[in-house]
Amino acid sequence: MFSTFLRHQWTAFWRSRNKGATIAAQVIMGIFALYLLGVCFLVGFVMEDLIYKFMPDKDVFMVFNGMMLYYFAVDFIARLQIQELPTLSIVPYLHLNIPKRKLVSFLQFRSMLSVLNIFPLIIFFPFCFRNLWPEYGGFACTTYLVVIFSLVIFNNYAALYFKRVSAENIKIVIPAILVVAALAGLEYLQLFSIASFSDMLFSYIADYPPVGLIFPVLAVVIFLLNDRYLKNNLYVEDLTAGEEKKSSTDYPFLDRFGAAGTLAALEIKLILRNRRPKATVTKALLLLFYGFLFYNRKVLENNDFAKMLFAAVFMTGNTILIYGQFMFGWQAAEFDGMLANKVNIRDFFRAKFILLTISASLLTVLTTFYSFLSWKILAVHFAAYLYNIGVSNILVLYFATRNYKYIDISKGAKFSWEGVSASTMLLSLPVLLSPYIIYFPLSIINPYIGLIGIAIPGIAGLFSRSYWINFLVREFEKRKHKIAAGFRERS
Amino acid sequence: MIIEINKLTKTYAGRKVTDIEKLTINTGETVGVIGNNGAGKTTLFRMLLDLIRPDSGEIVSKGVNVAENDQWKNYTASYLDEGYLIDYLTPEEYFIFIGGLQKMSVRQVMDYLQSYEEFFNGEILDRGKYIRDFSKGNQNKIGITAALMQQPELLVLDEPFANLDPTTQIRLKAHLKSLKSGNLTTMISSHDLNHVTDVCDRIILFEKGQVIKDIYTNENTLEELEAYFSQ
Repeated sequence: MFSTFLRHQWTAFWRSRNKGATIAAQVIMGIFALYLLGVCFLVGFVMEDLIYKFMPDKDVFMVFNGMMLYYFAVDFIARLQIQELPTLSIVPYLHLNIPKRKLVSFLQFRSMLSVLNIFPLIIFFPFCFRNLWPEYGGFACTTYLVVIFSLVIFNNYAALYFKRVSAENIKIVIPAILVVAALAGLEYLQLFSIASFSDMLFSYIADYPPVGLIFPVLAVVIFLLNDRYLKNNLYVEDLTAGEEKKSSTDYPFLDRFGAAGTLAALEIKLILRNRRPKATVTKALLLLFYGFLFYNRKVLENNDFAKMLFAAVFMTGNTILIYGQFMFGWQAAEFDGMLANKVNIRDFFRAKFILLTISASLLTVLTTFYSFLSWKILAVHFAAYLYNIGVSNILVLYFATRNYKYIDISKGAKFSWEGVSASTMLLSLPVLLSPYIIYFPLSIINPYIGLIGIAIPGIAGLFSRSYWINFLVREFEKRKHKIAAGFRERS
Repeated sequence: MIIEINKLTKTYAGRKVTDIEKLTINTGETVGVIGNNGAGKTTLFRMLLDLIRPDSGEIVSKGVNVAENDQWKNYTASYLDEGYLIDYLTPEEYFIFIGGLQKMSVRQVMDYLQSYEEFFNGEILDRGKYIRDFSKGNQNKIGITAALMQQPELLVLDEPFANLDPTTQIRLKAHLKSLKSGNLTTMISSHDLNHVTDVCDRIILFEKGQVIKDIYTNENTLEELEAYFSQ
C-alpha cells in the first residue's frame, strides 16, 4: 500500500501543471542539499580539530556537548521554515477500503524521508565513534548515538506537529514565538545559556548513560501525539459551517480608488474570510521579529547596512513576497467569473498595487519599533520600503502572470502545505537579492549613498506605475487563457 | 444577427471538441444548445466568453471578434458554473459587486433583487451565510440571478436547470419566457429536452463538436429530439 501511495505522489509530481518550475526548484534544492551533506561529512570528521582551532583553551567534550542542544534548537526553527508537511492529498483515499491507520502511518512514514534527518547523523556520529568511544567507553557512545537519533525523530515530529497545530490555530503560534524570543533574550543578556545547559545535560549523560533513555521516550511521546492528532483530524472537512451569522461589510476608505478599490476590498475579504490566506498574512506579522537576528550593535556602529538589508526588504515587504508569490492563485476559484464579467484588467492590476502598497506601508509603520535600537534602522527600512512598493511588487506581479496553479484557500494548511516552503521561497530570490546588486558598488563610496541607490529605482517605479500596469496587462493578456485553464484544473 | 461563428475549431488531446463551419445567432432569439456529454457545449460557451482560445476560426459578437476586444462584456452576461461565484462573499455582497461592475448603485441592486424574492423562495437573502455554505441549487440561483440582473442583450447560461428544485425550475422557465422581448438574445445549454423545447425558439444539437441539427421549435420538435437521442 505504501508503495502505491508513493507511486501516486510520484505521478502527481510529474504530471503537475507547473512541472517545469517545480522540477527546476527541486533540482536546485537537491544540489544545495548534496553540497550541505558534503560539508557536514567533512565537519563531522574534523570536528575535533575544528574545536581545537577555534577554541583552543576549552575542553573538546565541553564544546561538543554545549553545541548539541544549540544545533537541535536551530534545527527545529529551520524545520519550521523548510520542512514540508507530507502532502499526500488524503481526501481521495478516505472513502476507500483503506484503514485509517494505514493512511496515518503513511503520512508519518513519509515525513521521515527528509534530508534534514540525515544532517545531524553525519555531523555528530563520527565524533562519537572517534572521540567519545575511547574516552568514555562503548556504552556511553551507544547512548549518545541513541540520544542523537531520538532528538532527530523528536525534532522531526515536533516541528510537524507544531506546523499542523499552528496552521489550524494561530493562538498557539504567538506564545511559542514569545517563548523562543524570551530564550533568545535570556541568552543575549547572559542570564541563561542553552550552551551551558546542553553541556551540563550531556556531560551527565556521558557519566551516567542510562539517563539518556529519556530521549527515546520523548521521541515516542511526540510521535504518538502526532499520530493521535492525525487520526482525529482525518476528516474531509468539518461540516460545521455557518454557525455564526455572517454579515456584509464594506471598506469605505477604498471607495476613492473607484473600480480598483472595489476589487481591492474584495481581496481584503478574501484574505479575512479564508483560512489559508489568513494564515499566510498572520505569518507576515510574526516575521516582524526577524530583524532581531540581524540587527546588533556592531552592525549598526559600522554602518554595515548590507547585513541589514535582507531583513529590511523582507520585513517591509513580506506580504508582497509571501502573499504575492501565489497570486493569482488565491482567486483561482472565481477566476472564470472575473474574466467573463466586466472587470477591467487595468483595474484588476491597480487593485493589486493598492493592496500590496497598503500592506507594505502598514508593515513599515510596524517595524518602526526597531528604532529604539537606532534611527539608522529607520533609514534602511525606508529605503527598503520604497524599493518594495516601487520594484518588488512589479516583479512579483510579473511572476504572477506565469503562475497557473490553483490553491484551495478554504483548506488551511492541514494536509496541503501547498508551497509555503523552500521551493517557493526560491521565487523570492530575485526580489531579495537585487537590492544588493545596487547597494554593493555604491556602498564603497558611502553606505548612505547605497541606501539612496536602492530608494531611487523604487521611486522611479512608483512614478512610472501606469507604464508598468500597461506592461503587466499586456503580459496578462498573452497568458490569461493558460492561467484560467490552470485554475480550472483542481488537483 | 448578434453572433457569427466562422470555421471554429478546438482540439483537446487529439480529439476535436468544437468544429463549426458557420453558425449565426439572430438578435432576439432564444437558442437551446443540446448534446450528450463531450459534445462541446461548454467549450463553445467558454470560447464565446473568451475564457479559452479557439485553435482556429473566430466568434464575432456584434461585428467584433470576442478574442480581440472586450466590448462584448458591456452587453453580455453569463453564468457557466460555480467558477463564477466568489464564494467567500455573502449573496448580497456578490450581487452588489457584480452590479457595481455594470455601474449599478447599491440601491438599484437591492431594488432589483426585490423582484426576485419569489424566485429565491426566501432562501438566499438575509441568511447570514457565505455563498460557499449554500447548497448547489441555491448557488445556481445566485449565479443565474447575478447574470439576469445585469440586464444584458446577450445572456449565456450553461445548464441553468441543473440542481434546481422543481418549483424553481418552473419559475425559471416562466421567467426566461417572459424575458423574450425582441432585444434579448439568450443561449442556454441543457440536458433536459422538455425544458429547452419549452423555452427556446431554436434548438441546435451538437455531437462531437459539430452541428447535427439546427431547427426552429414546433410541436414535433420534442419527439424528433427524443427519437434522435434514443438511437
